[in-house]
Amino acid sequence: MTTAEAPALLEDTKLGPRAGGLYRRQNIFTGLGLGILLGFVGWVLSHQFLQGSNWGTDMVVTVTMVGWVLGFNIGMGSLNAPIRWLLGHDQSYDDELYAAGVEQGKARYWKFCTDHKVVGTQYLVLVMLLFGVGGTLAMMMRTQLITPHSSFLSANTYNAIVSVHGMVMIIATIIMVSGPFANFIMPIMIGAKDMAFPRLNALSFWLIASAIPPMIATFFLGGVDAGWTTYAPLSVQAPAAMDAFSMTMITFVLSVTIAGVNTIVTVFTMRAKGMSLTRLPIFTWGTVVGSALSIYAMPALLLGFTAMITDRVTGTSFYVAAVGGTGWLWENIFWIFGHPEVYIILIPPVAAMLEVASTFARKPIFGYKVIIAGFAAISVLSLMVWAHHMFTTGWAPDLAGPFMLTTELISIPTGIIFLCIIGTLWKGRIWTRLPMYFVYLFLWNFIIGGITGIYLSDVPADQYFHGDMFVTAHFHYTLLGGAMIAATAALCYWFPKITGKMLNERIGKVAFWIIAISIQITYFGQFWEGFQGMPRRVAYYDPIFLRANQMTSVGGYLLMAGWLVFLYAMIHSIRHGKVAPANPWHAKSLEWKVPTPVPLVNFLVDPVVTSDPYGYGEPDPEVAAGQPGIGDPEQELVPTLSSDHPTAGGES
Amino acid sequence: MSVTTTGHEGPQENGRNVEAVAGHHETREQRDFKERFALWLFITGDALFLVMELFFWFYLRALNTNGLWRGVNCSKANACVDGLGNPITHSIPKANPWYSVGIAALVVVAALLIWAVERAARTSEKRSIVSGLAGLSALVLLAAIALQCYQFGKVPFTTIQGTYASTYLFFMGSTLGHLILLGFLAIGFWNRARVGKFDNGQWHHLRLFRIFAVWIALSAVILTAVSSLFA
Amino acid sequence: MSSEHESFEQEAKDIEEAVFSGKPFFSRPAGKIFIIWLVMTAVGVLIGIYAPHHLLTTLHSSAGSDVWATMVFFTVLAAPVAALVYGIAFYSLIAWRHRGNQEEPPEDGPPLRGNGPASILWLVTSTVLVVVLLVWGLSVWSAQQVSHPNTLQVNVTGQQWLWTFSYPGTGVESRSLVLPVNRPVEFNVTSVDVTHGFWPAALGVQVDANPNTTTVIRATPNSLGTFTVRCSQLCGLYHSFMYAPGSVVTSTQFSAWLQSEGATPSSADQVARLASS
Repeated sequence: MTTAEAPALLEDTKLGPRAGGLYRRQNIFTGLGLGILLGFVGWVLSHQFLQGSNWGTDMVVTVTMVGWVLGFNIGMGSLNAPIRWLLGHDQSYDDELYAAGVEQGKARYWKFCTDHKVVGTQYLVLVMLLFGVGGTLAMMMRTQLITPHSSFLSANTYNAIVSVHGMVMIIATIIMVSGPFANFIMPIMIGAKDMAFPRLNALSFWLIASAIPPMIATFFLGGVDAGWTTYAPLSVQAPAAMDAFSMTMITFVLSVTIAGVNTIVTVFTMRAKGMSLTRLPIFTWGTVVGSALSIYAMPALLLGFTAMITDRVTGTSFYVAAVGGTGWLWENIFWIFGHPEVYIILIPPVAAMLEVASTFARKPIFGYKVIIAGFAAISVLSLMVWAHHMFTTGWAPDLAGPFMLTTELISIPTGIIFLCIIGTLWKGRIWTRLPMYFVYLFLWNFIIGGITGIYLSDVPADQYFHGDMFVTAHFHYTLLGGAMIAATAALCYWFPKITGKMLNERIGKVAFWIIAISIQITYFGQFWEGFQGMPRRVAYYDPIFLRANQMTSVGGYLLMAGWLVFLYAMIHSIRHGKVAPANPWHAKSLEWKVPTPVPLVNFLVDPVVTSDPYGYGEPDPEVAAGQPGIGDPEQELVPTLSSDHPTAGGES
Repeated sequence: MSVTTTGHEGPQENGRNVEAVAGHHETREQRDFKERFALWLFITGDALFLVMELFFWFYLRALNTNGLWRGVNCSKANACVDGLGNPITHSIPKANPWYSVGIAALVVVAALLIWAVERAARTSEKRSIVSGLAGLSALVLLAAIALQCYQFGKVPFTTIQGTYASTYLFFMGSTLGHLILLGFLAIGFWNRARVGKFDNGQWHHLRLFRIFAVWIALSAVILTAVSSLFA
Repeated sequence: MSSEHESFEQEAKDIEEAVFSGKPFFSRPAGKIFIIWLVMTAVGVLIGIYAPHHLLTTLHSSAGSDVWATMVFFTVLAAPVAALVYGIAFYSLIAWRHRGNQEEPPEDGPPLRGNGPASILWLVTSTVLVVVLLVWGLSVWSAQQVSHPNTLQVNVTGQQWLWTFSYPGTGVESRSLVLPVNRPVEFNVTSVDVTHGFWPAALGVQVDANPNTTTVIRATPNSLGTFTVRCSQLCGLYHSFMYAPGSVVTSTQFSAWLQSEGATPSSADQVARLASS
């Protein structure tokens, strides 16, 4: 294809009928079909040959789940490229264009599609689905707990729901910003055409998608009764559901690690000309930090769950004290993952929220370098605090002091981030559009969540509060009230770029107020329960906790209603909303310089960056130099004939 | 953000950036840098996995719960109990270290062969030399895999006999998994060399292969050393 | 180098101007924020002083009082920090909010990219606060580790799904935890199956009950009354029901209770440290 014949947009390329090869026939239906088939084959074979051993049922479930994950991904086409590599028959350029979604229209969202914008949208839908599942489970829990001795759920079902609610929410919050926005927005923000490894990007999405059915299957395999932290030896004894749970986590770990590597390589090798690291938007730094923490934390979890499977399926004794192991080993390896994990959850949304704060205060980010240093300090310290989850286990009383030290130290860099947020607001011109509402709510919630964390880091106080509802209230304030609200700010902010429609603010603000108020009701109810001494993860409780539980349950129902109104706002806007201009917020980062909808290659003209995206209140250097420049925020990056352009180069 | 729209970067055709239309993309060197960066990140993750495996070994060994690391205090008079409730009346014998040493040695040989493959491609040796060496490395890795599987049958203990046994067998399984991955890569590189993918100075992927193989060899040596010396 | 020095000076001047010179204090942003901050801090301090006592369960030991004191102290110290963040955020919505056409962005704000003196002040203040909290926590913690003479040993065994308490030297095993007042207790805690959490909240301590190992926790009950021992670590099906009654009684009552549970009078008296008759 010569450039004389080249279409104006790459996505309009006419491909041959054979372009894409096997991809042409692969989609979510072939994925589901082959997944079920291979899972069934695995079930039959393991049933036939392995059932008789001591751990037969666990072996059968494990092999079945491996068959499902492999089959699904083969059916989706995730493994086409490695097989073709092995055979020495690499994909052609037309194959790659097909894989990027050319000629498929909306169908590409149901297929293995390497276009980062498609992957980002797929992640967004998956995240919302996961929150729906986790939220429904939460409603069931709150209904059970509205009376002290409810007959709504049996004890076993309740325990199973608690465990899956926790883990589904953890999965959802880990990917809620690094999935949708690090994929869709970040490459455009740095001036790139896609991620560094587009096929790995699609693989990471479909791996997580394949990990979810085993998690749901746990309800039909006896239920995991050990909480989301699945402490041993209770989890080693759990029904076969625990094997499915472990397979979900192993697949999830692989997905997140791949995504993390992709993100880091993209940011460090694919920035546009002129985008030095000090001109990088802070959101990009946030995704890098989150990814780096993933590369540290995920291997630990992989090891932990692999050893859990060997304990359950082959009789190793890692976590069972009777045969030489110890539950403390599980707790250590779990929290070596688990504490960095909360910063994997928190830092990308906070970084995204900083972009929102800057745009809607019409000011540069306050303390850009301080924030980066803060993120780095939080990351390093987060590797050294894990045993604050184990203060009351008795595993190492002498280490209580050192871990209390490192944990309390982490509040210093966290605090400096707060300074930078309010510094961004200071003397700004606060534009109270919907995304900014969530920034203020974050500030309110995270102060409460963060401070209550400091109480828990004090060992003597933790001896009262560990394992009770105070801990639950603390992490809901930080993860839901903090991280998820920051992610919602990001969603409201980038909604016009991703969907092409403006998010209906009237409905959005109704949702906002319901959510904001119900968060306080729900989680202050839980703090109250915690002060009174109510343990976590109980299906029945002492009637002295009744009032606090009623408060929490009512708050919980309201919170769900608020999120449903928000969902309605999103759907209504996508269907009937105002068409969004390319830069509705008159923001300065690169993603707002491209048209909406975004072309396949993002930039039709390679951008050359001459400053960071926070030049509010500063004269535009382009305009100052007498160039047409970006004085007009509506100007998009569109190609022009070279003869129309003044030839004086404006780059510095 | 200040951005120039005078996109005079890269080849131009009718005012349109050719790259944007034709799609391809960056230079071989740029592509190779990305791939090496990614590989090092994966190796970092794998190295952390190895460190955690060693944590498992040394922590369980130090705790020696119920004396069941290697059960050195188990005797007929003072029987311990295994994972199925059967009595253990003697200490668990140490595994024969020479199997692990042999496997690690084979992996080191494979890594050396892969280094030779890369060197051959860099100096533009004949295709048959490059593919021959790659094929040889694949055979050595297959031998290592076979030996590792054989060792599973030869260790003087089973998973249920305490934590030394469990961790030793886990190390063996982890090595096997990594060897299978490396073996897959070796077969792929042999085949690709055979069809000429590495002719004319296209050696970059072989460097990635070599880096990864050296890492696998190193991790095999570390696991062998720890499991043999700290039984 | 000199331009950095100049901008640092400029930033310090900005603060000085905001806080000290020019218009009357309370009509400047810093002054108004100060008022909001003062009110919010007062509210926070009041909450810190009064709420913990009302919310916590009735405490029956010095470790329990330590928990209460820590909650008060930490909340009082946190109040001004929270109030500062809330105050500035709240003030920003009053004074700096764009009130015109919401469809168009307001004009840009001042290009304040940072303020070295403010950052340093914040960093130093937060570090000092953290050090204070640490010193508090470490001193409370180390005071709790001191072992005393005259310690009563109680063995606690957790199982799915009940607690058993035994008193060495008397042969007593009970499902109730009865303790004599003003006598240091050392709990030796273990489990026969999975991990449980031995949690007498009113005593302000807890420790996990792990299989095949014994963990130790100490407390000194210092007031009479009843309390509940609950399980704080999810342990399976009936985790919700794993609780035991507890009470703090006088030494005489303690000895009588031991005897009612089957101890001989002499062993009961000896363990209760009553004067030998």
